[in-house]
Amino acid sequence: MRRPAGWLGALPLLVFYAFVFGIPLAALLAGAFTSRGEPTLANLRQSLEGGNLTAMIGSVQVSAVVALSGAVLGTFLAYAVVTSRSAALRGAVLTASGVLANFGGVPLAFFWVATLGNSGVVSGLLGLPSGSLYSFWGLVFVYLYFSVPLMVLVMAPALDGLRPQWREAAANSGATAWHYWRHVGLPVLTPALLGGVVLLFGAAFAAYATAAAMGAGTVVPLVTLKIANALTSDVLVGQENVALALSLDMIVIAGLVMAVYLPLQRRSTRWLR
Amino acid sequence: MAAVTGLERPLSPGPARPGRSRAWRAVVFALAGLYFLVPLGASLWYTIHTPTTGVSFAPYAELLTAEGFISSLALSLALALATIALVLLLTLPAMLAVRLFAPGLRPLMEVLCTLPLVVPPITFVAGLSTSLRVGADVLAPTPFWATLIAIQDPGFPVVLVLAYVVLVLPFVYRSLDAGLRTMDVRTLVEAGRNLGASWPQVLLRVVVPNLRSALASASFLTLALVFGEYTVSRLLGYQPFAVWIVTVSGSRGQLSVAVSILSLLLVWLLLLAVSTAFGREKK
Amino acid sequence: MTSKVEFRALRRVFGRTVALDGLDLTIEPGRLVALLGPSGCGKTTALRCVAGFERPDSGAVLIDGEDVTDVPANKRDAGMVFQSYSLFPNLNARDNVAFGPRVRKVPAAVRRARADELLELVGLPGLAGRYPHQLSGGQQQRVALARALALEPRVLLLDEPLSALDAKVRVALREEIRRLQLDLGITTIFVTHDQEEALSIADQVAVLRDGRLEQAGPPAEVYDRPATPFVAEFVGTMNHLPGRLAGDGKVTVLGQALPVDGPAPSGPEVDVLVRPEAVQVSLSPGADPGSGSGEVVAASFRGSSVRLRLLLDGQEILADVPGHEAARLAPGTRVDVRLVERPVLVAAR
Repeated sequence: MRRPAGWLGALPLLVFYAFVFGIPLAALLAGAFTSRGEPTLANLRQSLEGGNLTAMIGSVQVSAVVALSGAVLGTFLAYAVVTSRSAALRGAVLTASGVLANFGGVPLAFFWVATLGNSGVVSGLLGLPSGSLYSFWGLVFVYLYFSVPLMVLVMAPALDGLRPQWREAAANSGATAWHYWRHVGLPVLTPALLGGVVLLFGAAFAAYATAAAMGAGTVVPLVTLKIANALTSDVLVGQENVALALSLDMIVIAGLVMAVYLPLQRRSTRWLR
Repeated sequence: MAAVTGLERPLSPGPARPGRSRAWRAVVFALAGLYFLVPLGASLWYTIHTPTTGVSFAPYAELLTAEGFISSLALSLALALATIALVLLLTLPAMLAVRLFAPGLRPLMEVLCTLPLVVPPITFVAGLSTSLRVGADVLAPTPFWATLIAIQDPGFPVVLVLAYVVLVLPFVYRSLDAGLRTMDVRTLVEAGRNLGASWPQVLLRVVVPNLRSALASASFLTLALVFGEYTVSRLLGYQPFAVWIVTVSGSRGQLSVAVSILSLLLVWLLLLAVSTAFGREKK
Repeated sequence: MTSKVEFRALRRVFGRTVALDGLDLTIEPGRLVALLGPSGCGKTTALRCVAGFERPDSGAVLIDGEDVTDVPANKRDAGMVFQSYSLFPNLNARDNVAFGPRVRKVPAAVRRARADELLELVGLPGLAGRYPHQLSGGQQQRVALARALALEPRVLLLDEPLSALDAKVRVALREEIRRLQLDLGITTIFVTHDQEEALSIADQVAVLRDGRLEQAGPPAEVYDRPATPFVAEFVGTMNHLPGRLAGDGKVTVLGQALPVDGPAPSGPEVDVLVRPEAVQVSLSPGADPGSGSGEVVAASFRGSSVRLRLLLDGQEILADVPGHEAARLAPGTRVDVRLVERPVLVAAR
């Protein structure tokens, strides 16, 4: 009696999943390896050359830079928050992080265009040359707006998990602050740190709306923009399948990233019991 | 898309740490404050100030009458509510059933619910639009063709709801999983059954009330995602809120920034409401 | 190389709470002194002042006559064992113990060998490769002890190290700590709220209350001759029986005339303090002059002894009798009550 009930409860979800997720994925796989109705690797090959390759590399570069810088900045901010004596400040920053980490997308793009865009409020004050926002570093700068809060949300609990007894026991054994961080603090934080970097990379890599709304596509090659163009363009017939191949490439990269993230996340919870 | 809201983790402030030099912390907060608040202030200023006409709140006044504002907002809201309802209806019974009766299915659930994270929305919509196109051809002679067309109805595109559910699944799963684990659902359900409750009663009176903060967190995430969702909506050709903002930005820059500010405020207020209503709950 | 520790007029205030209110105490080299008292009495604060984790607002901590109040915590040379969760989770037992030597740049082979030695000393041979989450609570505290001893400190500080452990483990471990301490001859300060723990292993017991020292002395002295009512109540159980001073250094209580121990307050009506084990209970009818007739109201079996609650002329008296007499002294039995013939403590009514 018990076993069937388990399957039964999960059945709607499984059926839904198979249809709404499974079919598009299958279509994606099929389309990526098909051209003009015949199985081929041409799409895949095309997705990794010329402009497509540039776009892929561009995306990886932006994501990597955002992930590393966001991780460092986010960790420092999280540490400042966690060691602060003011509970109100903690609450405010953590709530703000919760909102901004989920924010991104279109409004984010418009905020930055209004601030540092060509006719932005601040760009005039700073005398920024025209087009500075629509560059590699401009995009990174914008992406940090949701990446840093995300890192804060990941690191704050991890930093909280550093028990004060460890710090005291280290000092008791003669350690300075440096010794403590080097031998205890950072090693214990490492799984969370790496997990955060990976999470940030994934989020930046998959981002589309912000870049599209900013109109950065002409300057910064991104694979998400390439795929979107291929899907909506009527000019280039037969390009949809290359778009599908590009999508497959993206999924593989994202998959590798996730394969690193999950075991790290499990490890970090084990130590911070 | 973030994985956490900060709601589901009970963060108790640790014991007061030895006073580190306050200087570096002040610097960090100052820089962070600058980076995060200046764009908001600048955007606000951008919406109310024009070099030619000076300060005016006109963009905000025009909001309500702007073409498409109400309709896109209403559409997003309807889609969001439908998504929340559908995702909870699908996930909660499944997770409960697995936890209580079929723990062997748990790894499978976890993999399935985490898989969408590996598929960026742009790739998902690529596969989805292809399926819809191919499906229209393949299913043309069958009665299913009508269903396929119906879910793409621009009045209320159910296809978007279905897509959103997939996108939001990992976050809802994780939120509910944390909630179920914290409340030790098995013990509570057994206690409820021991006291004579029927299954529906157990579900409504035992499980759901204890999951309030997890449910709130999941709902907040879904709402935020649906309102901000651009990729799938645009590439399938619909115009909910986020798409409308971009469409209108071409002609009315100030208006689109004003709407962006309002949408941030909305998300903020939502999170505050959700966390004050359910945050007081003991974890 | 063991040291003398002194607290001089130590004062520490947290906001509105006075944790230490002028504590004066001397701990002689090589002794194990237990700081005993209820929560909030300041014992942990005092200990942390020695370790350097708390800075007193006024007063001083001296080690070997040297004022260490301004010495940073990582230079105090006072090994500390915390109550729980103090092992570094990312290091195995051996590396945890070797941490201090590592900071001092002791060569790897040397410090690892020493760590293994210490682990054997604390009773954990062969567990050197285990990580904290793979060890039980008792094992973790042994590793913590080995770690505290690794740098051969001049003082050993123990902050309620056994409170988080099971009863049996607690008793076994406290005996081992005492044995180790005697072997090494290291000055040790042991903080606890468990008076049985303090009495059983300490050379000196210092009872603290509200940041002040109530009494300090050998366990027997603190138990038999409590200096204040608080100490009398906190350490063990005390009966308060009505008595009358007889003027010749004696007091009349329960029909017996017993010598007064120590100074007597002005009477004539006084409270006589008697430990349950000093109350003798026998079955009625008793022909012995001086015994009253009382009744057993309740009996609490404790294995080796039974605690009886007696009612005698409306006065409640607690008495401890050997366990094997439990059957004969069930509730409802009428008994004769008599006090052991020894000097008794007397307090003002």
